[in-house]
Amino acid sequence: MFVKPFRYERADSLADAAAALRGAGGSAKVIAGGQSLLPMMNLGLLDLEVVVDVSRITEARGVSEDDGYLRIGALTRHRELQSDPLVITHQPLLAAAASNVGSSRIRARGTLGGSLAHSDPSAELPLAMTALGAEYQLTNGSSSRTVMADEFHSSYFTTVLAEDELLASVRVPKLGPGWGWGFREVSRRPGDFALVAAATLVRVAGGEIVESRVALAGVSERPLRLGAVESSITGAKLDDLENRIGAIEGLDPVTDTSATSEHRHHLARVLTLRALADAYTKAVA
Amino acid sequence: MSLDEIRRSKADELRIVNKPLARHDAAEKIAGSTRYAGDLAFEGMLHARLVRAQVPSARLTRRDVTSARELPGVVAVLLGEDVPNNEISVDVPGQTIAVGALKARMQVLATDRIRFHGEPIALVIADHEDALAAACEAVEIEYEDLPVVSEPEQALEEDAFAVHDSGNLLAEWNIDLGDVDAAFAGADVVIEGEYRTQFVDHAYLEPEAGVSWIDDDGVLNLRVATQVVEHYRDVAKILGVPDSKVRVIAPYVGGGFGGKEDMTVEPYLALATSHTRRPVRMQWTRNESLLARAKRHRNHMRYRTAASSDGTILAQDIQILSDAGAYAYLSALVLLYSSVHACGPYRVENVRIRSKTAYTNNPPTSAFRGFGGMQVVLGYESQMDELAKKLNIDPGEIRKRNSLHRGDKLPVGQEIITEVQLAETIDAVRERAGDKPQPSHSRAAVGRAIASNMQSYGRLVWLNDSAAAWIGFQMDGSLTVRCAVPDIGGGQASSLAQISSEVLGVDMDRISVHFGDSALNPLAGTTTATRQLLMSGNATYEAATMLRDQVLDAVATETGQPREALTLTPDGIATQDETMPLQKALQICRRRNVAVEALGTFFGPKGKEVTKDLQGERLFPDFTFGTHLADVEVDLDTGQVKILKYIAAHDVGRAINPLSVEGQIAGAAVQGLGQALLEEIVMQDGVNLTGGFFQYLIPTAMDVPDIEAVILESGEGLGPFGARGIGEPPIGPPLAVISSAIADAVGARPTTLPITPERVLQCVQEGSLP
Amino acid sequence: MKPVTSTDLAVTMTVNGRSVTRVAGGHMTLLRWLRDEAGVVDPKYGCGEGVCGACTVLVDDEPASACIVLAAQCDGTQIRTAAGLADEDGQPNALQRAFHERHGAQCGFCTPGMLMCATAMLADGRARSRDEIREELHGNLCRCTGYQPIVDAIEDAQGARTP
Repeated sequence: MFVKPFRYERADSLADAAAALRGAGGSAKVIAGGQSLLPMMNLGLLDLEVVVDVSRITEARGVSEDDGYLRIGALTRHRELQSDPLVITHQPLLAAAASNVGSSRIRARGTLGGSLAHSDPSAELPLAMTALGAEYQLTNGSSSRTVMADEFHSSYFTTVLAEDELLASVRVPKLGPGWGWGFREVSRRPGDFALVAAATLVRVAGGEIVESRVALAGVSERPLRLGAVESSITGAKLDDLENRIGAIEGLDPVTDTSATSEHRHHLARVLTLRALADAYTKAVA
Repeated sequence: MSLDEIRRSKADELRIVNKPLARHDAAEKIAGSTRYAGDLAFEGMLHARLVRAQVPSARLTRRDVTSARELPGVVAVLLGEDVPNNEISVDVPGQTIAVGALKARMQVLATDRIRFHGEPIALVIADHEDALAAACEAVEIEYEDLPVVSEPEQALEEDAFAVHDSGNLLAEWNIDLGDVDAAFAGADVVIEGEYRTQFVDHAYLEPEAGVSWIDDDGVLNLRVATQVVEHYRDVAKILGVPDSKVRVIAPYVGGGFGGKEDMTVEPYLALATSHTRRPVRMQWTRNESLLARAKRHRNHMRYRTAASSDGTILAQDIQILSDAGAYAYLSALVLLYSSVHACGPYRVENVRIRSKTAYTNNPPTSAFRGFGGMQVVLGYESQMDELAKKLNIDPGEIRKRNSLHRGDKLPVGQEIITEVQLAETIDAVRERAGDKPQPSHSRAAVGRAIASNMQSYGRLVWLNDSAAAWIGFQMDGSLTVRCAVPDIGGGQASSLAQISSEVLGVDMDRISVHFGDSALNPLAGTTTATRQLLMSGNATYEAATMLRDQVLDAVATETGQPREALTLTPDGIATQDETMPLQKALQICRRRNVAVEALGTFFGPKGKEVTKDLQGERLFPDFTFGTHLADVEVDLDTGQVKILKYIAAHDVGRAINPLSVEGQIAGAAVQGLGQALLEEIVMQDGVNLTGGFFQYLIPTAMDVPDIEAVILESGEGLGPFGARGIGEPPIGPPLAVISSAIADAVGARPTTLPITPERVLQCVQEGSLP
Repeated sequence: MKPVTSTDLAVTMTVNGRSVTRVAGGHMTLLRWLRDEAGVVDPKYGCGEGVCGACTVLVDDEPASACIVLAAQCDGTQIRTAAGLADEDGQPNALQRAFHERHGAQCGFCTPGMLMCATAMLADGRARSRDEIREELHGNLCRCTGYQPIVDAIEDAQGARTP
C-alpha cells in the first residue's frame, strides 16, 4: 500500500533492459512477475530509484530442447514449468519444484528468472537448479557468459549478476536413463517458504546407487550441494541409506520465526533420506 | 421481563427463526459491492499515517517534525502536544480495595516515554498517499533506551524496572472455595501440569481503516472498522468537545474477533480531521496491525488437580500469570474471565485460584474472541485428559461424571440457571467420529481426543449492560429496524431481521436493518462478549412484541374481536373470520393515535462490582457448553501434524439461523486450531519480529479439514427464543483437543502453544513410541 | 525501440468491460490503481505481500494479487474483479449464488478475492475434488468461515456448470 515512488522503465528486449540498468547506476532492479520484489517494497524492506520491467520481453520465455538439455527462458513462469510437456518428460524434478512454489497466483505470474535472481536460500527453483547442475546464461546486452547454478547463488538474496546484467536463460540436463529423482519439502503451511527442501537425483544399476546429486535449501546462505552425502551413498541400496547418511555436515541454517536452526538441521537429514528413497524408487521403477 | 426468565420457543412453531436462511448482507458481499471502512473516498481527501516507536522501552529525548512539515504534499504533522486531551483512559475495575482506584492511562501520541515497539509518536497528514512514507521518515526521533521488561515473571520481581510508576502488577484476582489442602491430602490421585499460551493476533482480513469528515452540522463523523460505536465518547473526550459533536458509523466490518473493540484509527482520524477540517482516510498496513494493535494475552498457567479413584475431581489449585503488555487496556477483565472459567464445565468443591497480570514492554494485550476464558481450556482439559489416562477411565465418561448441572455453583459462587447439556455434546461428537483412522505411512502415528469447555455469553453483570432497538412499520407494511449494533460478520444485523420477521410476520425481504451508527440509531452497546444476540436480540424482541401488541390491540378494539384471536402473518392480520391486510391495520392505528413503531430497551442482569477476592458472586448472565473431537496424524520424523477429522458440538439453546451458527462454530474452531498449531506473535526483548502475513501463519484451506458442526438445542438460553451466544465458545476447545490428540498419538503431551513441529518432535522423544 | 520511461504514465485497462485510462505514477500497484484511480474497490488490501489473496483479480484471465503487480505492467490488459462477475442482467452468477446460499461470506472481506480465485479455478472446466479445491484455495485466507462453506460453494458451482 505504501510503495515509495520510483521511476518505472519498460524494456522490450534484454539489451534495452541492460541499458536501463546501466543508466540507473545502482539503485535499480528488474521486475518480471514482481512476486518477490513488490512484497519487499510494500514491506518497506527495499527502496529503489528505478524499476526496469522485463515482463513483456518475448525472447526469453518458453522451454525448448537442446540435445541432451532443456533450455528454459528466464521469463518462463512457474506454472509453465509445472505443466510444460518437455519439462514433465525430461526433467520432472523441475516441475515438482515449481509446483511447490507459493500459491497458484504466484505460480501464474512468478518467473524462473525472477526466482533465481532473487536467490532466496529457501526457494525451490534455485535448489532444483543446484541439484541439476544447471548452467545460467547471463547477458548485459553486448556480451554473455555462462555461470553454473552453484556459483551463481552466492549468498542470501545475492548473486554474481553485475549491475547491468540479466539472467537470459537456463540450461538443464535431461534426466538420463536409469535415473530417478526426489523432491521433498517441509514448510509450516502449504505454499510457505520451505523450512528445508531436498532435491535428489540418483542413478541405480544392479540395485545399487552408482551416481547421485543431492542438494538442500533452507540450510545455508544458499542452496547447498551435498558432495559428502553423494559419496557416502555410492553403492548403497535402498535399505542402506539410513545407515550411510549420518548427521549432515556443513549446514548453517538460521533461526527465525518459523523454525529454529536445530529443527532445520534435523529436517535436513530426514528430507534428504526421504528424497533419496523417492529417487531410488523411481530409478528402479 | 426479568432477564433470567428463559424465552422458550418450540422449534416446530417457528416460521423464520431457526431456519437456515441465506443472509441478506451476503447479497452485497458476493456482488463485491459492500463498502467497508477503507472503501469510501472523498474528493480532496487527505491521508494520514502514524510514526511509531522503533524501540520497546525508551525515554523520548527529541521529536522534531520541522523538516517533515516542509516536505511537498505534507499538510500537517501532529505531536502529543497538539492533542487537546492527550489521554486514552481505561478504568480498571475491582482493584479498588487492593490498590486504590486504578485509572490506567495511555497517551494518544507519546510525548516522553515509549513502552512498546510500535507505540504512536506522531501523526503525519498529507494530501496524497505517496507523500506519507517520506514524511514519516523525515520525522526525527531520538531515544534514550530504558531497560526492557520482556517477561511477566521478570516484571513481578522485586527489583524489576517499573514499566509504569504504579508498579508492574496491573491486577490480581483470587478465588477460594472449601479446604483445598485437605482435599489434596485425602486424594487418591494428583495431576500437575504447567501450560503456556502465546501472543495471538486477530488477523482479520480487513486491517484497521476508516474515513473521517465534518458534516454540515459541524459534527465530526468517523466511519471506521469498529466493534464499538460508543467510542464516540472517548473521541469527544480526547478532542475536548461535547459527546454530541462526534458520530461513529460502523459499516459492515471485515472481521473483529475483539481486535476492533478498543480504538484503533479513531483518535487519529479525529485529530487529523479536526485539525485540518478536511476529510481524511487512514489505512493501517498489515505490518502496523501486527505490530501495534492489542494481542491475545499469553498465559502461564500452573494446574494441580486432586481426584478420587473413581475420577471425581476433589480440588484444584490454579495459578495464572498473564502478560498485560505495555498498557492496561482490558487486561484486568480478561484475567477475571480466565479466573472464573479456570475450572471449566466441572463441579469442583475445593478451589484455590491465584491470578495476576503484569505490565511488560510487549505489545498491549486486550480483547480477543474467548476473552481469557479460552486459554484456560488448555489447562483444565489437559488435566482432565491426564486424569482419565492415569485412572484408566474413558475420557468422555470422566467428563460426564464431573459435569456441572443446573443448580450447581461455580467456584466463584455463581449458580448455573439453565440446563447443561455437556454430556449430550460429548455423545454427539463421539457418535459421529467412527473408528480411529490408521496411519498413512510407517513413520506416522494417529491420535484422537475430545475436549469440552464452557464460555460465558453477555457482559459482566456489574457493567449494567443495556441495549435498545427501534422497529417501525412503514405504511406499506414493510419494516424498518434501527439498532446501533455493529455487524462484524457474524450476522448481527441479519439475526435482528429474523427476530423481527418471526414476531411481526413480515417477510425478510421487506425488512431493512439500519445498524452501526451512534447518532441515528438507538445505542445497543458493543459487538463483543458474545452479547449482541442476548442484548440487541432481546431488545429487538421486546420492540417487536411491543409493536405487535400495539397493532393487534388497536385492531381488536376496532373490530371488536378478542385480542387472543389475532395473529400477525405474512399475509396480514389473521382474525377469526378473515385476513385483514396489514396496511389496513396500520391505517386503523393511525386513526386511533396508536404508534406504529416501538423502542425496546433490554437491561442485562445486575450484580455488584467485585473486589480482587471473588466470592459468592454472580459475574455473568450465563454460559454455553460444548465438546470437540479431533483425529490427528503426526509425522514422527518431521513433527508435522495433519488434522484428519474435526467435530464440534455446542448446545446453542436455540439456533436463530443454523447457517450462521455453523459458521460461528466452524470459524471459531479453525481460529482456535490456528492458535493451537501455527500462530504466534514472536517477541524478542520487546521487539516484535512478526512483520507480515508471511510470518504470522493463520490456517489456510489446506491446514484444516471440514469442520463438522453439530448444533444441539436445549431450548435453554437467555437470548430470544431460548438462544445462547455462540460467537466465542467454540474457540477454546481446539487448544486442548489438539494437544491431547497429539499426546494420544505419541505418548507425551505438548503443553506450550503453538504446538510447532519442533515441540511435537520433543514429545515424540519423550513419548513411548519407537 | 526506446524503453517507456516514466514516473507518470498513462495506463489503459479494460476493467470489468469498461475501458479506463488514468495517468498515475509508475510505482503504483494494480490494487491502488483500481481502488483509487479506477474507483473499483471490491479488490481489498489485506497484506500487501501477495499472501492473503483479498486483492485477487484476473489479469487477462490469469489470477493475480493486485497488491504485488504494477499497474504499468497491466497496461492494455483485461481486468476482471468480483464486481464484474454478475450475469448480463445484473444478477449474481452461479458461483456467486452458491457462495450466498452456502454461507460462504461472513464478514465478506475475503469474498471478492475468493470469488476470483474460484473463477480462475472453474475456467478450465475440470471438476475438482474437495482436496483439490482446497489446494487451489490455499493462497486465499479467510478468518471467518473455516473455509468449508467456500469449498461447498465451489463444488456446487462446478456441478451447476457441468450438469
